[in-house]
Amino acid sequence: MKLKEIKEVLEADVLTDNYDPEMEIALGCSSDLMSDILAFGKPDSILLTSLNNIQAINTANVADIKVVCFVQSKIPNEMIIKLAERDDIIVLSTKLTMFVSCGKLYSIGLEGCSYLTFEE
Amino acid sequence: MDNPTKDTSKTQELTYELRVKDAMDVNFITIESSTSMKSLREILRKKRILGVPVADNGQLVGIISIEDYVECMENGNLDEIVGNVMTKNVITIFSDEPLINAVRNFDKYHFTRFPVLERENGKIVGMVSKIDTIKGILKKLEIAYDDKHLNKFSTRSLINDLIADKICIELKYDVEGGNFEKAGNASTRLKKSLKKLGLSSSITRRVTISTYEAEINIVSYTEKGVITARVYSDKITVNLEDKGPGIEDVDKAMTPGYSNAPGWVRELGFGAGMGLPNMKKFSDEMTVNSVVGKGTTLNLVFYLNE
Amino acid sequence: MNLKEVVEKINLKVISGELDKEVSGGYSSDLLSDVIANAEEDNIWITLQTHINIVAVANLKGLSAIILINNRQPEDTTLQKAIEENITILSTELQTFELVGKLYELGIHGNS
Repeated sequence: MKLKEIKEVLEADVLTDNYDPEMEIALGCSSDLMSDILAFGKPDSILLTSLNNIQAINTANVADIKVVCFVQSKIPNEMIIKLAERDDIIVLSTKLTMFVSCGKLYSIGLEGCSYLTFEE
Repeated sequence: MDNPTKDTSKTQELTYELRVKDAMDVNFITIESSTSMKSLREILRKKRILGVPVADNGQLVGIISIEDYVECMENGNLDEIVGNVMTKNVITIFSDEPLINAVRNFDKYHFTRFPVLERENGKIVGMVSKIDTIKGILKKLEIAYDDKHLNKFSTRSLINDLIADKICIELKYDVEGGNFEKAGNASTRLKKSLKKLGLSSSITRRVTISTYEAEINIVSYTEKGVITARVYSDKITVNLEDKGPGIEDVDKAMTPGYSNAPGWVRELGFGAGMGLPNMKKFSDEMTVNSVVGKGTTLNLVFYLNE
Repeated sequence: MNLKEVVEKINLKVISGELDKEVSGGYSSDLLSDVIANAEEDNIWITLQTHINIVAVANLKGLSAIILINNRQPEDTTLQKAIEENITILSTELQTFELVGKLYELGIHGNS
């Protein structure tokens, strides 16, 4: 699924200067606990979180996740945006709750990470 | 010339990739064929050049040099116009040709500069010199060595090129305890360095996820720690040392979901008892040595042949 | 929608509590302070937290049930407290994203 479709469904704002509407997003994953993302998140997924701190970006970075969407109107501060831009991570923000965001994306066909085990 | 070293092949590769137009000098001058030989001298002197292409209405018709001028002077022909003295059979090159062709021409004709023509209309669009060629290659190398292209390098070839019985690249990072804003700084810098060393993204991911979890623990529970990553030809090891409170029951701490994290750590998105299990999950070997009241040493090993 | 129906349709495991309850909507969060601030009465709460405090939060907000994702088991003290306080805890092998997707498909919507 293209990032622009996700952005549209979530009515999300783009917060970083590296937005790529054509980027392919394979999977969705959502959590507020970063260890959970590290354990089960997959490269090429979008991370939905309400954890509005710098560790959301660091987690995405080390886990090779290219897009982070903050839910429930969470707007990260300038330092977090700068870090994301430096690490080439796209940051979005939506007014929708985590529940509604996941529900809507699932209903347009974005898959989750549940059935994938980690093998590299 | 035929030195089969890696550098030469890299340069050759780049001179094939580069076109003449990428390296040519577009700030060149031409003179018309009706120019008098007398004024040629002044033009060459002012521009500090030894020769100049002759073009009428943009079409190259010849080339004239300081030697031609000297010859005219010796023969008392300085009243001639350039068109009657110039070399008409000019070696040129098209702007869309590979730069390597220019390099070959320099060798073949022993000229130092060639006029560059547009293939469609034959008009002169630039001059290419040895210096321009070198500059073009250097510029291209600069781009190739840019962050995004660093994956072209391979640690293993680097390590293989160095001569020793055992080689290891050591990367050391200091971690400041209690500063949650800076947590992750060491791991993300390590990630960048591993990428620069040309390690695959999957091993880089495994190493940095594990290191990041450990770094978060150092920040959450201790005053400071040191992370040392060592890259060998066949493995990466990460050693993490802190002078924190130590882990009372290591086996219990290894249980997924077990945590004695304070509320503030939980609200920051960690402390769900997955740190050590994650490190174990992503590493090939893991040892924990902890002494209560003294500190914890963690050793992680990742093998490169996955 | 009735909680029992949800449990059957999504094949959730029942760890504690009763199922004869209404579900007003869903809320997904792993940050307790967020749930305290934003979840609504009779919401079904999706989380991976297994700490004893989840029972207190469910009680405080009058939540319909807690669903633990990714096959997580409540800690012993959490389970004990949940039984004492009659809090319904369910579990699934799914991750949050898919579980919420399925709940949403069933017609359980979020709070606006």
